[in-house]
Amino acid sequence: MFDTFFVQQLVNGLSVGLIYALMAIGFTLIFGVLNVVNFAHGEVYMIGAFAGLLAITQLSPPLFVVILIALAAGALAGFGLERLAFRPFRRFRDEASLKSKAIREATLLSSLAVSIIVRELAEKIFGSNMQPIPQEYLLLSPVQIGPLTFANGQFLIFGLSLVMLGGLHWLLKHTRTGMAIRAVANNPIGAAYVGINTERTIIATFVIGSTLGAAAGIVVGLYQGAIFPAMGFAPGVKAFVAMVMGGLSSIGGAVICALILGVSEAVTTSFFAQGWGDLVAYVFLVITLIFFPTGLFGGGRERV
Amino acid sequence: MTPLLEIKDASRQFGGLHAVEGFSGCVKRGERVGLIGPNGAGKTTLFNLITCFTPLSSGAVFFDDADISSLKAFQVARLGVARTFQNLRVMPNLSVFDNVSIGALGALGHSPWAALFRRHNYANDIGRRTWEALERAGLQDHASELAANLSYGKRKYLEIARALALSPRLLILDEPAAGLNDTETAQLGEFVRQLSDEGLSILLVEHDMNFVMSLCERIMVMASGRKIADGTPPEISRNPQVLEAYLGSDEEAS
Amino acid sequence: MDRRISIFILLAFVLVALPGGLALLGGGYWFRVVTTIGVFSVLTMSANLVTGTTGLMSLGHAGFYGIGAYTAALLATQLHWPFFLTLPAAGLVTAAIGILLALPTMRLIGIYFAVATLGLGEIIHVSLLNWVSFTRGPMGIAAIPGISIEGLFSASDIVNYYAVALVAVAAMVVLGRLTHSYYGNALRAVREDDQCASSMGLNVVSLKIQSFAVACFFAGVAGGLWAHTTGYISPADFRFSESILILAMMVVGGLGSLPGAILGAIILLGLPEVLRPIGDYRMIVVGAVMFLSILFLPRGLLGETSVLTVVRKQFGLAWDKNLNLGWRQ
Repeated sequence: MFDTFFVQQLVNGLSVGLIYALMAIGFTLIFGVLNVVNFAHGEVYMIGAFAGLLAITQLSPPLFVVILIALAAGALAGFGLERLAFRPFRRFRDEASLKSKAIREATLLSSLAVSIIVRELAEKIFGSNMQPIPQEYLLLSPVQIGPLTFANGQFLIFGLSLVMLGGLHWLLKHTRTGMAIRAVANNPIGAAYVGINTERTIIATFVIGSTLGAAAGIVVGLYQGAIFPAMGFAPGVKAFVAMVMGGLSSIGGAVICALILGVSEAVTTSFFAQGWGDLVAYVFLVITLIFFPTGLFGGGRERV
Repeated sequence: MTPLLEIKDASRQFGGLHAVEGFSGCVKRGERVGLIGPNGAGKTTLFNLITCFTPLSSGAVFFDDADISSLKAFQVARLGVARTFQNLRVMPNLSVFDNVSIGALGALGHSPWAALFRRHNYANDIGRRTWEALERAGLQDHASELAANLSYGKRKYLEIARALALSPRLLILDEPAAGLNDTETAQLGEFVRQLSDEGLSILLVEHDMNFVMSLCERIMVMASGRKIADGTPPEISRNPQVLEAYLGSDEEAS
Repeated sequence: MDRRISIFILLAFVLVALPGGLALLGGGYWFRVVTTIGVFSVLTMSANLVTGTTGLMSLGHAGFYGIGAYTAALLATQLHWPFFLTLPAAGLVTAAIGILLALPTMRLIGIYFAVATLGLGEIIHVSLLNWVSFTRGPMGIAAIPGISIEGLFSASDIVNYYAVALVAVAAMVVLGRLTHSYYGNALRAVREDDQCASSMGLNVVSLKIQSFAVACFFAGVAGGLWAHTTGYISPADFRFSESILILAMMVVGGLGSLPGAILGAIILLGLPEVLRPIGDYRMIVVGAVMFLSILFLPRGLLGETSVLTVVRKQFGLAWDKNLNLGWRQ
C-alpha cells in the first residue's frame, strides 16, 4: 500500500514544486512573448517576500492583505523591470536578425545587472542575514490528516497556487489581454498588424509573471519563517530549469516539470544532506539541454 | 567519366512535409548546370542536402565517386564543394579580407599550434590564397574595409571570393543574381562563365530565366520536391510540364 | 619588429615601473590590490577567448577558476608540491575537466550554451561545498603555502606580485598569439556565424573545444595563483557572482579584446579600492557599470572591432600582399 514516508515526501515535494511552478510560469510567459530570459525574475520573488515583511512589521494587517500587498509589489516590480532592463533595447527590434541575437544577449546581461543591483540594495537595506517573519503570521502549525502531517502553510501553497493557476488559465483563454499575450507570443509582427498593442501586451506579461513570482515569494516566506535578500537566486534557477525542461514555450510543461523537480529535490534531500538537493536542479538542467533539446514535452526550440 | 556530383534518389522529410523527394541528378565535370523551379520547390533544401548542411532522410550523394552522404558539412567543404547562400551570409563585423580568409582556413586547416609558434609558411599560404581569391573576384581594393560597409552587389562577390578561397571543384550558387540590376547580372554571368572556363563545375539556382538560359549548359527543374525535367535550355523551355509548374505559381518565366 | 618592442615595453612596465610606483605609494596594500587585479586579468582574458572571440557566452567560468584553485591548494597541502608544479597542474586538470564537461554541450548554441555553463558552474560550486571529505566543504582550505623556494626567496606581497605579473604577461602573449592570427579569425568566424563557418570547411566543434580548453587552462592557473597568494580558499570564492564579475569585466572592457579584459579588471576591481568609502557597494557598482556600458557602449571601452577600425583608420594599414598578413599589429 502507500508507504507513508513516500507519500509525505510526495506532498512536501509537490508544495515545493508548486512554488517553482509559479515562478516557472512567469519565466515562460516572458520568454514566450519576448524570446528573452529574464534574469531578474528571482528578484521579484524576493521583493514579494520582503514587501510582505514590511507590511507585517509596519501595518500588521490581516493575512490576506499581506498577500495582496506582496502581489502588488510584485506587479510594480515587474513593470519597473520591463521599463528599465528590457524596453531600452527594443528600439533595435526592427533591424536585421543578426542584431537581434546580440540584443537578446544584451537583455540577458542587462536583466542580470538589474538583478545584481536590486539584490545588493536589498542587502544594504535589510542586511544579508535571515529576517524572521513575526510569529503570528507563520503558517507552520501541523495538521494531521490520517497518517500524514501537513503544515497549514502547505494548504496555503496548494490553495493559492491553484487559484492563481486557474486565474491565469482563465486570463489567457478568456480575456482580451490573454489573447493578446498568446498572439504576441506566437507572432509578434502579425499581432501588431491586427492592431494589438504589443508594448502594452509585453508590459502586461511582465506584470502577470512578476505577480506570480511575488506570490511564490510571500508564501514561501510565511511557510519557512525567515527570508533573506539572496533568496531569489536558487528558486529562480530552478524555475528556469523547469521552463527549459518543459520545452520553453509550454506553460503546462513548465508546471509539470516544476513539480517533478520539487519532488526529486525532496526525495534527494531526505536521503542525502540538505546541500545536495540543490544539485538536482542543475543536473536536470544540463541533462535536459544535452539529451532533450526539445524539452521533455517536445515544445520545440528554435535556433538562435 | 563519372559525373563530379551525383545525387541518387535523395529525400528529406520534415515531419510530414516532403521537402525533397526521390531526387536524382548529376553535375558533370566542368559543366554549368542550373536548377530552377517555383518557390517552395525544395531547391535550397536540395543544396543543403548536397553540402550536408542538412542530413538526408534517404538516398545518397556522391562527390567524385565517393559517398559523402554521412559526412559533416565542413568535411564536404574541404573535399571541394563550396557554396554561397541565398540570404548572403557574409560576416559583417569582419573585414573583407578576414571574410575571405575563412575559406582559406577551411582549405588549409586552422591549427592553434601554427598560431602559437608563428609558423610563417602557414600564414603566408593562407594570406596568398586569400589574396588570390580576392583578386579573382575583383575585391582587392576593398580588402581592409568592413564587410558591413560593402554594397549589396559587392557582397555577392565577397561570398563567391570566400567560396573560391576553398579552391573548390564544384561551386554551388544559391540565387547569385537576386537583387542585381541588368548590368550587374550580366557582369556576374560573365564572371561565372570565366570561372567555368577555368575548370570549375557550377551548379546554380536562379529565378532570372535569361540568366539561367544563357549561362547554363543543362537545366534541372524541380517542383514540389521532385525533379520534373532535365535537359538543355531549349528542351526545357519547350517542356509542357515545366510550363505548367510555373503557370500555377507567382513566378514569371521571362 | 615593433611587436618585440611593445612586449619589451610591457615587461619593463610590469617588472620595473609599476612595482616601483607601487612601492612609492606605500607598498604592501597596493601590491595586494594589483595582485588581485592581476589574477582577475588572467581570468578575464581567458574568459574573453571563449566569450569575446569565439562567441560562447560562459556563465560558469568561476567554477573552473575554483577547480584550479582547489587543485593547487590540495596538491600543495596534501602532497606538498611547490608552486611551480601546482600551477601547471592546476591548469592542466582544469583544462581536462573543462573539455570533459564541455564536450556534451558543444552542440548547444547561444543562450542554451550559456545556461548549460551556468548549470555546470553551479554543479561545481555545490560539489565543492558539499563534498566535505575531499574539499573540507564550507570550511575551505587554509594554510596554503605561498610562493616560495627554499633558499631563494620566501612568500611576500612583492613576490606574489611578480609571480602574478609574470603569469599575466605570459597569458597575454599566448592568448594574444591565438587571437591575433588566422586561427583567431577561425574563432571569430565561429562567433559571427558558426553554421556558415562550417559550410566553409571550419571544424566548428573542434574550434569550440580548443577555445574552451585553453580558457579553462588559464582559469585553472589563475585559481592556483589565487590559492597561493591568499593562502585560504573556500567555495564562497567561486560562486555564480564571481562568474558575473568576470562577465562584467569583459563587457565593460570590451568583448574580444585582451587589453579590454585587463582594463575591465582594473576598473571593476580598482575602482572600489580607490573609492574606499563605497568599497562595500562593490557589487552594486559592478551591476550599475555593466548596465550602463551595455546601454551606451555595447562594444565596451576597447571592444575588438572598434580598436581595429581605429588602428586601420589611423595608420592607413594597406593590405600589402608582401606583408606577413598572419600576424597583425
